[in-house]
Formats: sequence, C-alpha cells, structure tokens
Amino acid sequence: MNTLCWFFTAPLLIAALSLWLRIERRLPWIAAGLMVAQLPLVAWLCLPVFSHSAPVTTDFGLDGVGAAFLLITTLVASASLIQAALLLPAERAQDEAITARHLRQFYLLAGLFLAAMYAVLLAHNLGYLWIAMEATTLISAPLVFYHRTRHALEATWKYLLLCSVGIAFALFGTVLLVAAQHTAGGSSTLHFGALLKHAASFDPRLLRLAFIFCLLGYGTKAGLFPLHNWLPDAHSEAPAPASAMLSGALLNCALVAIWRLSQVMHAAGQDGLVRELLVPAGAIAVLAAGLMLVRQHDLKRMWAYSSVEHVGLLTLAIGIGATPLFILHALNHSLVKVALFLLAGGIIHRYGSKALKQVNGLLRSAPAWGVLLAAAGFAIAGSPPFGTFLSEWLLLRDTFGAGHPLAAVLVMAGLTVTFVAIAVHVGRILFGHAPQEHRTLPAPVWSVVPAALLLLALATGLALAPPVMTMLTHLAAIGGLR
Amino acid sequence: MTISYIEILSAGVACCAVWMCGVTGITPLLRLLAAQTALIAVITALLGARLHEPHYFWLAAVVLCVKAIAIPAYLSWAAGRLHIRRDIGTVLNPMVTLLIGGGTQTAGYFLAPRVAVLPLGNVGAAGMALVLLFIGMLLMLTRRLALSQIIGFLVLENGIFLYGLTQTHGMPLMVEMGVVFDVLVGVMVAGLVIFRLNRSFEHIDVTQLRGLRH
Repeated sequence: MNTLCWFFTAPLLIAALSLWLRIERRLPWIAAGLMVAQLPLVAWLCLPVFSHSAPVTTDFGLDGVGAAFLLITTLVASASLIQAALLLPAERAQDEAITARHLRQFYLLAGLFLAAMYAVLLAHNLGYLWIAMEATTLISAPLVFYHRTRHALEATWKYLLLCSVGIAFALFGTVLLVAAQHTAGGSSTLHFGALLKHAASFDPRLLRLAFIFCLLGYGTKAGLFPLHNWLPDAHSEAPAPASAMLSGALLNCALVAIWRLSQVMHAAGQDGLVRELLVPAGAIAVLAAGLMLVRQHDLKRMWAYSSVEHVGLLTLAIGIGATPLFILHALNHSLVKVALFLLAGGIIHRYGSKALKQVNGLLRSAPAWGVLLAAAGFAIAGSPPFGTFLSEWLLLRDTFGAGHPLAAVLVMAGLTVTFVAIAVHVGRILFGHAPQEHRTLPAPVWSVVPAALLLLALATGLALAPPVMTMLTHLAAIGGLR
Repeated sequence: MTISYIEILSAGVACCAVWMCGVTGITPLLRLLAAQTALIAVITALLGARLHEPHYFWLAAVVLCVKAIAIPAYLSWAAGRLHIRRDIGTVLNPMVTLLIGGGTQTAGYFLAPRVAVLPLGNVGAAGMALVLLFIGMLLMLTRRLALSQIIGFLVLENGIFLYGLTQTHGMPLMVEMGVVFDVLVGVMVAGLVIFRLNRSFEHIDVTQLRGLRH
C-alpha cells in the first residue's frame, strides 16, 4: 500500500467519525486527539525526505518543500482543533442558533478540508493540484458560514464566487501550460518533475501567458493584493479555529502552487518574468496591507489584513528565488497568526463583540491573555526576538542583495506602518477601561495552545543557527532547482 | 484558408454566448447555456473521431450529461423554487452588453493566431474560447442576480474547456473529469448558498450585499 495514504488517516477519520451520532459529545476532543496523533505520524512520514532525495515520478509524492508545508499544515490543524474543542462547545452553550448538527458539520468539513490541503501539497501533477485547490475552496466555504449570520452568509458568497473565478484563471493557465508544450511538438505532461526537465523547450510566449494566468488564479486564492477582496470577510466571519486554518494553512497551499509554477519558469529560463511580476506585487501588497491596517475597527479583520501583508512578503520571497526564506517565513507567520486567531476567538467569546471599540482593558481583566496578545502582536509586527523578525530581516537583506532596492524600501515602509498600526490597535485592547459586565471567565487552559505556539515562534527566532539554514536550503533543493 | 467543422461549431458556441449577453430571462439564459455546452460536447466527440481516441467519447458523454443537462436543470429548478423569472436589472443595458459581446467576437477572430497552438490547426477555436472567457467575465460583472453570476461562471468555464480541448488535445482524462466534478459540486454549493441568501435577505441581488464593507 502506498505510504502517502497514511497522511489522510486522521483527516478522513475525523470526517467519518463526525457522521457517527453516538459520539457527538466527545467528538471535539476525539478530533483534537487524532490530529495531535497525526503530528508525529506526519513527521515520521516526512523524515525520509530529509536524508535522501529520490525525484518524484508519480502524480502524488513528497518533496522537500511539500514535506515542510505538510508539517506546518499539520501543526496548524492540531493547534486549531485543540482550541476548537474548547471554544466551539462553549460558544454553542451561549448561542442557540448553533445546533449539534452544525458542530458535526464543522468537523466533517474540517476533516475534508485538511485532506484537500494535504492533496494540494502532495500533488506533483499540476492538474491534480488544481483540482485539490478548487476542492479546498468548495469545502471551506461552508466552514465560513458556521455562525449562520447574514454577514457570514455574505462572506461565504463572496469567498465562493471570487475564489472560484480566480481559480478558473489558474485552470486556464494550466491548460496554457499544456498548450505551450504542443507548440514545441512532442508529448505533453503536467507532471512537475517532467515539466522542470523539459521546460527549456516550451513555447516561451504561451508559457509566459500560462504563468500570468496561474499567478492571477492562485494569487486570488492566496489573497495577494489587489486580489485580496474576499479574504478579510471570510477570515473574520469564520469561527476562530477555521480562520486559523484558512490563514495559517490554506494561504500557504496557494503560495506553494505559485512556487511550483515559478520553479517551472526558472527551469525554462524565464526568471525575468517571475521577478518582474512577483517582486513588485509582493512589495506593493506589504505596503498596501500596512496602510489598510491603520483603519480597522474589527479584531479579526485586523489579523486578516495582516495575513495580506505576510502573503506579500512570501510572494516577494518566491520572487527573489529565496525558497529557504519562503519556508521559514511561512512557518513563522503560521505559528504567530494561528496563535492570534485563537486568542481572538477567546477574546471575542469573552467580550461578546469583535469591534475594537468594545474590546478594552484586557490587561486588567485577564492579565495572562493580555500578555499573550501583546507578545503575539509584537511577533506578527516582526519584532525581535521572535522568528518573524529574523525571517523578515533576512528577506530584506536578500531583496537588497538581489538588486531590488525600491522593493526593499517599499517593504520597509510597509512594515513600519504595520508595526505602528498594530501597536496602536493592540494597545487599545490592552489598556483602557474594561467593561463592567463580563461573561463567565474562560478557564486558563484556553491560553495554553496560543502560548505554546508563541514559544515555538520564539524558538525559531532564537535557534536560527547556521545548521537550520543549511537544512532549509537542503530541503528547498530536494524539490526545486534553487 | 479552410475552416474545419470544429471551428464552425466553436463559432456557434461563441454565438450562443454573445446571444446570452442580450438576454435577461433566466429560462432563455439557461437554454442558451445548455445549447452552448451541448455543442461543446459535440466538438469533443468530433475530436475523438478525428484523433481515434475513445476516451473523448466518454468525456463528451460526461460533459453532455453533467454540464449540458444536469447543471442547467438544477439551476432552472432552483430558479423555479425562488420564483425568479428574469434578471432584476443589469449594471449595463443588455443591448450595450450585446454590442460589446459582438465586438469581442470580432476581436477574438483577430486575436486567435496569437494564442493558438498552430500545429494542431484549430486556430479559430482558440479565439472563440477567448470570447467565451471574456463574455463569462462580462456576465458576472454586469448581472445583479446571484443566479446569473453562476451562469456567467459556467460560460467562463466552458471557454477554458473549449480552449483546452481544441488547443491541447491532451489534458489527461482524469484531470478533465476532476474539473467537471469540481464544477458540478461548485454549482451545487453555490445553489445552496443562493437559497440561504434568499431566505436571510429575501432577495438575491448581489449589488445589495454590502454589510461587510468597512
């Protein structure tokens, strides 16, 4: 039996168990336990990739970048599902619009959603990659609608439609990629390894067109400015654990697709176009997201716009061909952003509102959470000693080094604005008058997962010794060319 | 210059799409969509006969059953349940849209050689596929009804399918089937969301959905 099937055990088991009525009450904890058990399993399955690198010849396979993102995705999912086991039943107790059926649906969709994301990361055939990516949209759209409110419905519709159209462009790009091979004559393939091997002989005109359409498509899915319109709505209306998975795992999947395409372009000797498109797009996204962050009134929308910013940074990393940095920053961003969304879920549950105006005095009313939120806010804004600081700093250095001073300056401006905006917003949450009437205080156990994630982010910041970078470079070399 | 049957049929497909620009009634829109997709199924079968590849016939059958019959039938059932007869109004006048659509078809004819895969010899079809892409976008942007936006999306998707069919001859069968399946599920999910929209807002006018603009 194919070892790759093992990746899908926990997600599909969660989906299957959610249909079994008799374990309804214990379902959240069973799902969380399964996902935590999945973590060592994925690590064990990915381990061979670190030692020896056989090129992938099948439609689904494991390469260095895929393995790194599989680990990140599993980590994000297990953190989200543990917090979901705490948050969702507590929410249900307060909101009678959410029934047991909705909760079961959440787990069914979450399991399938994870399976689809694994498929995206394992796919080495760009056709299957597209199918899995579209599946993630279709499965996660109902997740956004979990709260059954009008706003959630509007966000769901926007998400479904914009991402479907976006991803249709990626399909056109994929078709063009096949067409580019026909002009050159010979057989056509969509297999990543074969594409890398033969890319030099493709018709450059159609290949460039293919890359542009794929970038438009997967860029929409990744929330790349100015195609990010759906992202703040979907990420802010979804329940906190789903937001964490959308932000910490799904955006990465779309970026991995762009990375694969950029590798094909690199093999075809079309690096110029990749750089011309991705470097300005990334830099502008960082600055634009920073400016949009200034005028935010909603806790979760704020973190959603911060995701737009980090997608810009990651796009820039792909653009300058710094794959190790792409992996490192994706890891850092996922760790901190998941911690933030999970914290936001708890805060919103406590205050009963998402509006920044009504969330004040956190430091006085719940000091542990206040400290965590402050730390996470600093981390997402890229301050030392967190991992985000290191990866952003290395990225800036490499952007200058690659000869894009203008992009680097734009990014620096964007990061500065972001820092100020986040500091002001988080400051308002932490200080000021706490409202008189509180809902019941959530147990301290709610802060364990965000705290653990932040510790990990701290560790990536402190432990970035040369061996880690060497390992990442090695990992990047297994799949692609650089 | 000889024009193949496939190119003539592709032009027919594009004409259906241009016609759709000027139509606001849901039933005629869905009939045109079904006719357009059925023509694409015929093209698929013709290509299969020309290339002696049996799997094209399977693909043609699936396209006919799923995209030309099941999806329009589902959407017309949904329209019936929602009591929708016609689009409540368009952002652009339908006649103007029709003119733009016609202009696009002309432009597609001239653009064709630039995007076509010349060795395969279906140059005209590539242009017509572009016309479908553009008109799909146009319908999505100018129609106010959520249902018409889905129809626009399907036209867009047909354009991609037509391009892939006539210009590559070789998208793997599994990939094509997966795409058709994804589209089917997508339409189902979108239909469910439309029912929800209608229940919560008592309309499905997307220009009125602006609760989330901050």
